[in-house]
This record gives sequence, structure tokens and C-alpha cells, in this order.
Amino acid sequence: MPDTLLETEDLAAGYNGVPAIRGLSLSVGPGEVVALLGPNGAGKTTSLLAMVGLVPLLGGEVRVLGAPLGRRKPHQIARSGVLLVPDDRGIFYGLTVREHLRLAGRKADPEREAQVLDRFPVLRNLDSRRAGLMSGGEQQMLAIAKALLARPKVLIIDEMSLGLAPKIVQEMLPAIRDLAKEDGIGLVLVEQHIELALSIADRGVILNHGRVVLTGAAGDLLRDRHLVEAAYFGADQFADTEGTLAG
Amino acid sequence: MSEPVSDKGLHTRDLTVRYGGLVANDSVTIDVEPGKVVGLIGPNGAGKTTFVDAVTGFTACEGEILLDGTRIDALPPHERRTAGLSRTWQSGELFGNLSVAENLLVAARAGGWRTLVRDIFVPRRKKSDDVVARALDVVGLGDVADTLARDLSLGQQKLVGVARALAGGAEVLLLDEPAAGLDSMESQSFAGRIRSIADSGPGVLLIDHDMSLVLGVCDTVTVLEFGKQIFTGTPAEARTDPTVVAAYLGAPVEATHA
Amino acid sequence: MGTILQFVVLGLGLGAIYIGLGTGLLLVHRATGIINFAQGAMAMWGAFVFAQLRLDGTLVFPIGSIELERRPPVAVAALIGLATAFLLGLLVHYVIFRPVRHAPVLAQVVVSVAVMITLQALVVLRFGPNNIDVDSLIPEDSFTLLGADIPTRELVMAAIMVLLAAAVWAYLRFTRAGVATRAASENERAAVLMGFSPDRLAAVAQVVAIMLGTVAVMLGSSLTGLNADNYTLLVVPALAVLLVARMESIAIVVVAALLMGAFQSLINLLITKPFWPQWAQSGLDQVVPFAVVMVILFVQGKRLPSRGSLQTVRLPDVSIPKFKPIPAVIMLVVGVAALSFTQGTWRFGVTTSIIVMLLALSYVVLTGYLGQISLAQGAFAGAAGFCLSKVTTNWGIPFPISLILCALVATGLGMLVALPAFRIRGAQLAIVTIAAALAIERFVFNNYTLSPPEGNPIADATLFGLNLGVREGRDLARISFSVMVLVIAAILVWMFIRVASGDTGRAFLAVRANERAAASSGIDVRKTKLIGFAISAFIAGIAGCLIGFSRGQLSAESFSVFAGLQVLAVAYLGGITSVGGAIVAGVLGPLGIVYTLLRGVFDLGEYYALISGLGLIITALLNPVGIAGATREQVAWVKRKLSRSGPPPSTVPEAPAPKEPSRV
Repeated sequence: MPDTLLETEDLAAGYNGVPAIRGLSLSVGPGEVVALLGPNGAGKTTSLLAMVGLVPLLGGEVRVLGAPLGRRKPHQIARSGVLLVPDDRGIFYGLTVREHLRLAGRKADPEREAQVLDRFPVLRNLDSRRAGLMSGGEQQMLAIAKALLARPKVLIIDEMSLGLAPKIVQEMLPAIRDLAKEDGIGLVLVEQHIELALSIADRGVILNHGRVVLTGAAGDLLRDRHLVEAAYFGADQFADTEGTLAG
Repeated sequence: MSEPVSDKGLHTRDLTVRYGGLVANDSVTIDVEPGKVVGLIGPNGAGKTTFVDAVTGFTACEGEILLDGTRIDALPPHERRTAGLSRTWQSGELFGNLSVAENLLVAARAGGWRTLVRDIFVPRRKKSDDVVARALDVVGLGDVADTLARDLSLGQQKLVGVARALAGGAEVLLLDEPAAGLDSMESQSFAGRIRSIADSGPGVLLIDHDMSLVLGVCDTVTVLEFGKQIFTGTPAEARTDPTVVAAYLGAPVEATHA
Repeated sequence: MGTILQFVVLGLGLGAIYIGLGTGLLLVHRATGIINFAQGAMAMWGAFVFAQLRLDGTLVFPIGSIELERRPPVAVAALIGLATAFLLGLLVHYVIFRPVRHAPVLAQVVVSVAVMITLQALVVLRFGPNNIDVDSLIPEDSFTLLGADIPTRELVMAAIMVLLAAAVWAYLRFTRAGVATRAASENERAAVLMGFSPDRLAAVAQVVAIMLGTVAVMLGSSLTGLNADNYTLLVVPALAVLLVARMESIAIVVVAALLMGAFQSLINLLITKPFWPQWAQSGLDQVVPFAVVMVILFVQGKRLPSRGSLQTVRLPDVSIPKFKPIPAVIMLVVGVAALSFTQGTWRFGVTTSIIVMLLALSYVVLTGYLGQISLAQGAFAGAAGFCLSKVTTNWGIPFPISLILCALVATGLGMLVALPAFRIRGAQLAIVTIAAALAIERFVFNNYTLSPPEGNPIADATLFGLNLGVREGRDLARISFSVMVLVIAAILVWMFIRVASGDTGRAFLAVRANERAAASSGIDVRKTKLIGFAISAFIAGIAGCLIGFSRGQLSAESFSVFAGLQVLAVAYLGGITSVGGAIVAGVLGPLGIVYTLLRGVFDLGEYYALISGLGLIITALLNPVGIAGATREQVAWVKRKLSRSGPPPSTVPEAPAPKEPSRV
């Protein structure tokens, strides 16, 4: 198995030629969890979209299994095993749970399906329910279940906690982490709930104003919480301590 | 919360917005008095933009909205604007193929049948306006007045949005993430501009995620979470209030780290 | 009772065709977000190929044809017809619709209208303008029920189409590709993120849709014979059916299609009754789709779903015009010179070009500036023209009061059509306006009681004793008439420039760019739309009156739906956003200078419609700003090049240099 499944090197991306993120370098290997954190407008979602080809690169490179993305189209990138669960959850309100699961795998794969549904048993009882009629938590589980069903190599989840009660998030994130470890999936998370994200991640990358301001092992970041808070609440005290954790 | 001293400015009473079964704003009561900057903050999806949409007439809501003591909840959006309630949009929403000055002129000069007749028979020769020049000055964009709006950077577009909101004359400004897309230095100087706008008269409601901006410039701060108003007070109180910190960074979790 | 039942069943035949077209429209809309106004025209081609094979064994291609030794059997001919439909579907998808998938709705509507008029013109050229009678594919038989002869053919037709629609439903419901099509229609990005290519799904949908329509038209052609105009415009009731089904439910498409057919048939029974007023007989069945569309839009209005897809192409640019005296004088001198150095058909061609320029200008106001789509400009012009006939011959109202009065009638009609635009926009507005145009054409212009078949005479205009009539003796186009047209056109253009460069024009552009931002800037969006429709219809009305004066008498053909669409074609071709574009459109327009040239010099008059349709497709795909816009861009480019040799190059506007933060 390769050491890195997905890596970005000095990535810059944005719309109309204006970068919303610059100089992002990260890598994720099998079973690894990387949390991408930062306030709104920091460039997190743009980074994720660039990794799956939905936002053009303005510089740097994205490599999947060692091969640069090049001119591959978004749906081809998805087929190569890099799946993004976007912040709108990427589900279809008019479709039933069964139909979602049908779309996820090219061939029917009952074994894998059973394995995934064991992680989200709620979905078993909702087989013919339309996604639009499900609760936010159920929708999010469906979004992740259908992604896992496709046996991804890298799973990228954007703001899973959006609109979910904290309790649900606290149950789901560890479950996803465990599954990633078991299957050797590389996991990239964008989260608002920093504590929780760092508590399950191996590494954290904190963005602000379109740049990386802090990276480090998740445990270190959790311990130096004041640095994280500084990155969010104010730049003044932060300027002096920058870099102490970087690299 | 105490009753406002004057009924000048914008006041909402128990403003509630429902989307189907979801309560996007739950009895939000906010006072934006003239000359004051009020911050409206909260995590993503907390209902901040919904609040602005409801107040400006782009989303149906329950409860009362008062501008200078008059109920405006029944007015269509453009009449709320002419009444003095002015807003910006999170995504800029400029008129892309008009120049910056023309974007402001749209707001400064109303159209209508009378305007049509005047356009045909006695057109205004002057293509600019003192109002426009002043509004551009406030945001410091006087030198790009003739540039097409879509050719500006995102940060500049946001500022043009602010100037456009000012151009028609505003009693209350509602700014929806005006500083997203600015870098931290621009963001700092933007804070000064907001302060000077408020000092010149209008009340300002500021939504932003840049905490240093919001906490630095606002007189009071209201925090929304899941549509509920969980905190109202001064920035200093907000900085240390445990519910606010938890809403943003998440409450400390029992360590489950592997 | 028996007769009613008989007519209902007869109407099911028409209903079966609506099922075919309506289901196809729905499928294409779900897969691409495009409302394909060419659905009828596309479905018709394969049916014509089939019919011609059966008629005399000729296999007709768009260019050239093969004479088969003997007529092929029905099954073989049908298969060949379907095969051509299949190829046409693929061609249209990959060459025309795929490139505009992410284009603004306006471009999509224009492209599909272009395909529609191109195919219609091609069918007329290749198969002739007359009805082709077709043997029924289904044996004709009947049985007696409630004392009435009930035909089985219509029942079998309806049954076949219901089954085919059910098959499409099953495709969307039970196959992975079908489910993915539904998924992508709801959230295209999410479908891409699951590894689906929306393009491929769209190609499948497009092909299935055209085959379905072709089967329907093949079956239906035995009812009425094949006629290019009629089948092209059958898309209008099918669009009404699509709206009833909220663009979602195939089951409702089927039910609504059958009801629509039955109802239209019943209306044809009703108008034969002695109590029914004679003036309301003609074309009443065409009022039904329009009425249905209006009711649906007022009931459902904003709740009609529109398919989301990521727009990546922006609308053609508009630059605010300035009145420049020198070019204006040059244009006028050129106009006067063109009129004085020509005579007869040529002068008539130049005069018509000036009038068509005005019609195109009405599109510039409405579509170019306000961003609203109207396919009814021809009907506005026609209403004014017919009004002019009544006003001048019956009431003797003198010129120019007659002109202004009739243009005001068109203005009123335009403001009426603006009402639905308060609630809807884009392709749905196009549906309303084309349904309105068709209803007006069939119910008013083609109505012999309102508009006698021998023509509607229009009295010549005179002003202060000066004869402004178009003809005198053998002179087909008198100079005084042509100069009057030029003067009126110049006044209107001048007024347009004042409006467009004033506060009103700016408000139009703001509404076009972003309605909610306009509203939040204090603009009354509804009133602005009302004003735009009023100005546009007024200009179209003046043009309609001038067409009336230039003909001396009016017939319905002058203002048919196709005539209106052809003007839209040249307006877009010339450039929908500027006066310059309108002038180009005038030169290119029907019966204008280029037409006269094609007919008189190259003897290619019959190809005019085809050429303008193809030209529009190419323009819409390659060059959305039109000929005038492209020229302007070229000029600007040259100017930039020249000025660069002097001062240092200005920054490229597309990518303003990002300010580097001081802290790196």
C-alpha cells in the first residue's frame, strides 16, 4: 500500500483567477485522518473542491496515488476513488435510500452494503424513505454511507456537523474514524467543531484568510488550545507565536 | 433586554422564520440604534443571513419589524430600501457589467414612469452624483469608479456592495459578511470604515466570521445558534462567555483520541 | 352523449402525440435543464422520412436523396425513420445542446428556437410545403358504443404511447442510469461527485426523447397528414402539458396530454353548434394551451421547479449607448442614399430592413436590456397592424394619430403579457409568450370573421396633403413612404438611446443582472418589467403598423409565429444588446436587403429561412454577443493594441493582482 493516498503541494485555487486559498500542502495516507479547520471564508471548502477538480487550480499540484490530477474531469476523479461529501451533503431529496445505495456502487455488492449499514443501522429501517423526508442526521449518515459503499480510497467530508445537533456529531465522527482505520481510507475533514475534529484526527491544518496559519499533530493542537483560539478570535497575540507548531 | 430609549433605528420583536418544519430564526429580538454597530454572529447555519433576508423582505417571517417606529413587515423589499433599510449580500450580488459608479447610481436614482418620460425628453446630463462620490469615498474605492464591477477582486466587490447600500441614503445598514475575502490587513482597515459610517449617523448590523473584526468594532453583539438567540451583550463579555466559545469551537470533549 | 364520446376518443389521437412530445420534453429537461422548443420539429424529421419512403420509395437526407427500387414495407420504413431520428438526436445533442448546457437560459431558449426554425425550414425544402398524406400504421376500424361510431385507431395510438411513456417512467425509476438522471437533475454537482457524467446521461435522454416523439408523430401523421408548420408548433400544447406536470411527473404528462387532446377535440365539436358565435370559432382550440399555461402559472407560479445547474457562461455584455451625432448623421445619410439610389423591389427591401430593424430593437429593449424572453413580439406587431386596418378604413383616423394609437394597443397587449413575467422568467416566460403568440395568431389573425381572407386593407397615410402611400402605379416603393419609415425609425432609435443611457436603462440592466440585488437597491422590479414590456411592445407596434402600410393590406402570414421567431433569430444574430445589432438584424431580416439579394441575384430566396436558422445556431454557439457585439469587441481590441504602443499596458481586468498581505 502506498504511503500517501492524496497529497497537495503548494495548492492555490479560486474563482475568476482570484485565489481563495494559497500555499496549501498536506498529505493523507491510508487510515489517516487530517482535519482542515478555520473560520468561514478561510478557504477550506475551496481547497476541498480543488482536490476533486471542481475548482480550477491556480498553482501547485494535487496528486492522487502519486499521479497528478492533470486534466481529469471531476466525475473521473470520483471514479478513481476520491470522494467528496459536500457541505450540502450531496444527497438527492427526491430519491429513496435504496436508490442512493443503488447509485453508489457500479455493481450490487451486498457484502459491502451489509458492512456499511452495520455502521449506520438506522438506514436499514429507512430503505424506501425519500431523503428529503429524513432528519438532518439521517441525511448525513446516508451521505457518508453511500460514499463508503463505493469503496473510496480517500474520503473528504465538508462540514459534516452543519445543522446537526452536537450529540449526533459526537457519535458519528468517531464511527467514521474507526471505519477509515479499518478500511485504510484516507480521511480529510473540514469541521467547525474544532475540539471534536481534533480529538479524532491525526493531524490538523488551520487556515485563515486563505492561508495556512497553523499545522501540527492533533494532540499538540488540542493541548495548545490558546493558539487555536487566537487563530479564530484575533490575530494580534497570534502574530508573535506563529510557527511554533508549524511543520 | 431593556426597551430601547428611542424608537429610531431598526427593532425586531420576536422575529421568527420557518422553512417547513425547520425554525431558522426563533423569536429574534434585536435593536440597531442610530450610530451603533451591532454584531450578529454564530456558527455556519445559525440563521444569520436568514435574519437579514427576513428583515429586508426576501423571506417571509412572523413577528414585528420596526424602522424608526413604523412597522415595515408588510412592505416589499424595494420599499423597505427606500424607507431607509439597506443591505449587502454575502456573495456581493453586484450588477457585474455595470461600472462601480453605475452600480451606486442604480441605488441612488429610482426608476419609474416619470423617470422614463424624463429620460426621453429632459435627460440628466450628469452621469455621476455627489452621493455616489461620497459613498465611494467612505469605502475608499474612489479610484475604481469607472471599472466594471465584475473586474474587481472579491474583497473590493464586497466594499462596492457596502457603498451601494449607502448610496441611496440609509438609516440602517445590514452588512452580511462584508469582510469575507479581505485579507487580515484589509479587514482591519475595514473595521475603521464601519466605525466611521456609524459615527456619521446610520445604525449598522454586522455579520461576519472574522471575530477580531466583529469583537473589535461592535458596540453590542448578538449570538445565534440553531436559530436561537443565545447571547446578547458587549464584545468583552462575548469573548469570555462559555456558551459563545462553545458555539464556535465546540464544547471541550472527553478525550477519545486514539 | 354518443357524439361527445366519439369526439373524446378522436381527441385521444392528438393526446397520444402530446404524450410523445411531452414525455420527451420532460426527459430532456430533467437531463439537461433545457426546455427544448424544437421537440416537435425534431420528432417530425424521422416521420417525414418514413412518410416519403412509404409514398414513393425516396429516402430523403438533409442533402441529397436515394430513390429506392420499390417502396419498402411499413416496418422497414419505420425503422429507417427511427434510425434517422436516433442520428438526429445524437447530432443535436453533441453539436448544439451540449455546448450550451451551462449557458444562460436565454442562450438555451434561442438555440432551441433556432433548431426549431432550421428543421422546419429544412422539412419544407426537402419535403415540400404541402401536406403529405400517410397511410395509417394502425388498421382503421371502429365499433359502436352508445350509438356512436368509436374509432379504434385513436384508442390503439393512445395505448401505444401510454405504454412507451410507462417504459420511460420505468427507465427513470428502475435503471441505474435512469436513477442517476433523476439524481443529476436535482443536484448535478452531487451526481458528478458520485462519478456520473451528466453529459452521457443527457445524450441518452435526448435520443430517447426524439425517438419517442418520432413514434408519436409517425402514428399521428395518419390522422391529419404531415405538415411542417403544424407539427413544429404541436410543441406548444405539449409544453402546456409539461407545465401541468410541473416538469416532474410522467404520469401527469400522460393524463394531461390525453385530457388536452380530448378537450381540444370537444371544442371543435362545440364550435359547430348553432348557438356558438361565429367570431369565436376559428382557432379556439389553440387558445386552450395558452389558457392552461396561464392558469398553471398563476396557481403554481414560483413553485414550479427549475433544474439547477452551474452556470458558467454569462449573458452577452451590454454597453450603455451614447448618442454620437456624427455616426448618427452618417447612418441617416447612408439610409437616405440607399433609398434614393434604389427603386422597386430593392427599395422595398431597404425599407423592409428599416422596419425589421425596429422589430429587432424591440428585442434589444426587452431581451438585451431587461433580460426577459418574449416569443410574442410578432404578435404585438400584428395586433397593431390589424388595428391599423380597422382604424384607417373603418374609422378614418388620420396619420400619424392612427400609428400612435395602434402602437398603444400593442403596448397594452405587451403590458398584459408582462403580468406573468412578474412571477416567472427564463424558459417558462418563453413558453407563456409562444403560447400567447400562437393563440393570437390562430384566434385573431386567422379568424375570418375578424380578419377577412381577402385581406385587411389599410388606407395610405397622408400628412399635410403629402401622400405617404407605398405604391403608385407601377412604383412598388415610393420614396416618400420610405423616407417616412426612415424618419420614424430614426426618432425611435434616438428615443431608445435616451432611455437606454438614462436612469431607466440602468434600472433595466440592474434587473437583468440580478433581480434581488435590484430590489434591495430600491428598484421596483415589477414596475421596471412593466415599463420594459411597454416600450418593447410600443416599438414592435410601430413596426407592425409600418409593415401594414408597406403592404397596403395585411394577411395573417405577415405576423405568423414563425415570422416572429425569424425576427428573433436575426435580432440575436445581429446582436441582441445594441442598436448596431438591430441594424445588422434589419439588413439580414426577412424580406430585407439580404433576402432581396439572395432572391434577386442568387435565386436562393427559398433557402432564406434555412440560412437564417443555421446562422442563428452558429452565432448562439460561437458568439453570443452577435455580429455587432463581435465587431465592437474587435474594434475595442484594435484600439487597445494601438494605445498600448503609447502608455504602458494597463492591468488585465480579468485578474486583478491580489494584494499580498504584509505578514507572510
